[in-house]
Amino acid sequence: MNGRRKNTILGGGCLICCLAGLLIYGSGGIRSAGGEKTLTVGLFSDSYWEVQNGYAYRMLEEAEKAFQKQYPQVQVEFTSGIMKADYSEWLAEQVLSGKAPDVFIILGEDFNDYARTGVLKDLSSFIEKDDSFDLEAYYSSALSAGQYHQIQYALPYECAPKLMFVNKTILDQEGIEMPDNQWNWEEFYQICKKTTRDTDGNGTIDQFGVVGYTWEEAFESNGVRVFNEEGTECSLTGSGAEEAVNFLERLKGLTGEYIATERDFDLGNVVFQPMLFSEFRAYQSYPLSVKKYSGFEWGCIPMPAGPEGENISTLDTLLLAMNERTAMEEEAWAFMKTMTADPKIQKKIFTYSEGVSVLRQVTEADETLEELMEDAGNTESLNLHILSNAVENAAQAPRFRNAQEAVQEVNRAVEAIMEGSTNISSELIIWNRQINQYLAEQQSL
Amino acid sequence: MEENRYSSRALTAMKNLNLLIILYISVLAAFCLSGIVQENSAAEFLARIPVLPGVSWRLPLAVLCLYCGFLFLMAMENQTSMDLFLKVCLETGIGFYLSYILGFSYTGIILLILADAMQYFPKAKWRFPLAVLVCMAYLLLNYQILSAYFSIVPFETYLTYFRPNVQGILSGIKNAADSLNTFIFLVYMILLMREQTSEKERIMNLNQQLNQANSELKMANLQLEEYAKTTEKMVETRERNRLAREIHDTLGHALTGIITGLEACTVLMDLAPDAAKAQMAAITEVARQGMTDVRRSVKALRPDMLEKFDLEKALASTIEEMRLATNAQIQYTCTTELNGFNDDEEEIIYRIVQESITNSIRHGKASSIDIWIDRQFNMLKIKIQDNGIGCKDIQKGFGLHHMEERLTMLKGTLSCSGENGFLIEAMIPIRWGTEGEEK
Repeated sequence: MNGRRKNTILGGGCLICCLAGLLIYGSGGIRSAGGEKTLTVGLFSDSYWEVQNGYAYRMLEEAEKAFQKQYPQVQVEFTSGIMKADYSEWLAEQVLSGKAPDVFIILGEDFNDYARTGVLKDLSSFIEKDDSFDLEAYYSSALSAGQYHQIQYALPYECAPKLMFVNKTILDQEGIEMPDNQWNWEEFYQICKKTTRDTDGNGTIDQFGVVGYTWEEAFESNGVRVFNEEGTECSLTGSGAEEAVNFLERLKGLTGEYIATERDFDLGNVVFQPMLFSEFRAYQSYPLSVKKYSGFEWGCIPMPAGPEGENISTLDTLLLAMNERTAMEEEAWAFMKTMTADPKIQKKIFTYSEGVSVLRQVTEADETLEELMEDAGNTESLNLHILSNAVENAAQAPRFRNAQEAVQEVNRAVEAIMEGSTNISSELIIWNRQINQYLAEQQSL
Repeated sequence: MEENRYSSRALTAMKNLNLLIILYISVLAAFCLSGIVQENSAAEFLARIPVLPGVSWRLPLAVLCLYCGFLFLMAMENQTSMDLFLKVCLETGIGFYLSYILGFSYTGIILLILADAMQYFPKAKWRFPLAVLVCMAYLLLNYQILSAYFSIVPFETYLTYFRPNVQGILSGIKNAADSLNTFIFLVYMILLMREQTSEKERIMNLNQQLNQANSELKMANLQLEEYAKTTEKMVETRERNRLAREIHDTLGHALTGIITGLEACTVLMDLAPDAAKAQMAAITEVARQGMTDVRRSVKALRPDMLEKFDLEKALASTIEEMRLATNAQIQYTCTTELNGFNDDEEEIIYRIVQESITNSIRHGKASSIDIWIDRQFNMLKIKIQDNGIGCKDIQKGFGLHHMEERLTMLKGTLSCSGENGFLIEAMIPIRWGTEGEEK
């Protein structure tokens, strides 16, 4: 009898201790929802597009207003004072200390790590349950930026495609027509060839075809995806890559020793420069930039297509994700929806930010065009159809861990191949093996 | 007893060591985590781990709670094999979870489970599957195998917070403690095995002693039997001697007197018939005296009738004899079987009947005696009624008193009445089962 009683007491003690242990460990980082409900939102104070426009919080204030119409009892609290440069570290610290906000902006380079380690909430169930939510409203390329292993972990908030910036003044002077939206490498090369020359006759080339067109743009527009999603493999060995490198060599051959800089473009001496849409908008609305481009007229068109590819380029997407351990799932989801899927809020992107709305409906609206026109003060410079197409067809920028270093490796490879005179395809194979080895080393760290 | 203390000391040492190790690992992990956050290398750390670890200070606390629960479970006493099985399974579960949240960097806790279960094993039914289960758990619980199935942050990743030489020392301390745990486990097992062997020896020793005592007892029994036989013989001899002496003293004496008297009579018969008559009277007196003596002697012995016959026949024969000797009318009715009584019961039934007839004739001068023997439930009822002079005031003589005494010993009762003739009723409880219930 005595032994039995003792066992019951011991068993009870065991149960209590184990439950306490599980609770302490398992509940780590869950934010208490007690008292007044406060939804915390993590974001940086400056612009993602690295333009100081002072409007960073304007969008959010609008979103908060819209959100509180739905949830008047919930307070929305924005983190403040974190710069974009420090944001990644700040967020990681919050996450490790279990103090991460309920909803936060996530940078592309962090997305894979966060999705893998289970920091982000899987949004599939919300998307399924919510009838008022339509995935089709988003650009599919922007949406896929928030996917990891085909699971939606984040919603796109703002994006910017890469477009080809064209100096129309030079084209007019040279008597060349503006290329159409389906132009290809060959047309691109021919224009560059015609426009690259010494205009003042001092012996050095002072007018250039293109600046800033790298292997990244060439590969993308020729259907080459250099890295897989995980960043574990590199594929430089296809014919597409070889063609791209060949094309880059030919372009380089036009200018000889002298290499054009962005300053040459600013001065109006270069015909083409690939540029993010956000940069383009920043330049035109920023007083300093307006001055910069005052000497010439410009427009933008999609990237030229390679023989095996299409007129596509990369899309830079800003993502909004939910904390896996949030105590306010419903409110967080509603806020995310307000930020990303509410056309009224998304429209403000064109007013307060430099990016493009991730909603088709908003980006393709006539009002948007009007707004952009107003900004640009130039009716011909911008074609909304181009913008929408560029976003729709964009490729995904690599965003695995150490992607920047891997890109540098490919950079080195392409430079070395272009400088060397050996067979391109065999060089590509050698470099491909080296880069794969580098990626494997990175993985095992 | 001394050695038992050693093995339980080893077990206690293991428990303490395990606590120290898991606290060491969890505190170190927590320290590294908070250090990483303070040093602004959180983003880099997050990029290197496969899963988000718990919040720093919660880890040691959770580990402590779980280990407490684990020790509570371990302290539970189990009576059956089922209990033991359940207990070991639960312990393995908690141990596994503990290892899991410590990134599978320490698995020695399974050895502790095995060590604890070992002390119950000799008595348990499922010791083999249990031992296999625990051993499998120990073998499978290593980082390399499990990291393929579980997302965990390995201990070494936390340690990268330190400089490489410090990392070496810290993970060295952990490995040394792990080895120490294994070593204590081995020592514990050796001690336990020695204890169990000595326990077996002790039991065998006791068994031997028991066997010896048993055979000694058998011998003593045999001797006792022998002795009983001898005693029996001695009693027989003594009784025979007594009988011989008795016969010699009584019958011999009387017969001698009678023979001598009768010889004298033969001579006197013709010479002096009066003297011969007187002599004859004297001889009669001697013979009577002799008869008295014989009776006295026989009285001291068992009723011979009973020795020759069973109770029913003995009674019938006695009654017949009395009828012939006294000319009295004796009716004997018996409605039940009289088999199955003990010797002492038979004797008292016989005595009651005999004594009552004798009394009726001697004291009551009765000419008719009725005897009924029957059974009422579990009592044998003996009723003797005569038509003699009866007795207004019953003075219990030796006979009645003796009868009553003996009945009391058998838990029976005796009642008598002298109102109308003399009536004796004796009730004797029947002890020999119920098979002969009322017909």
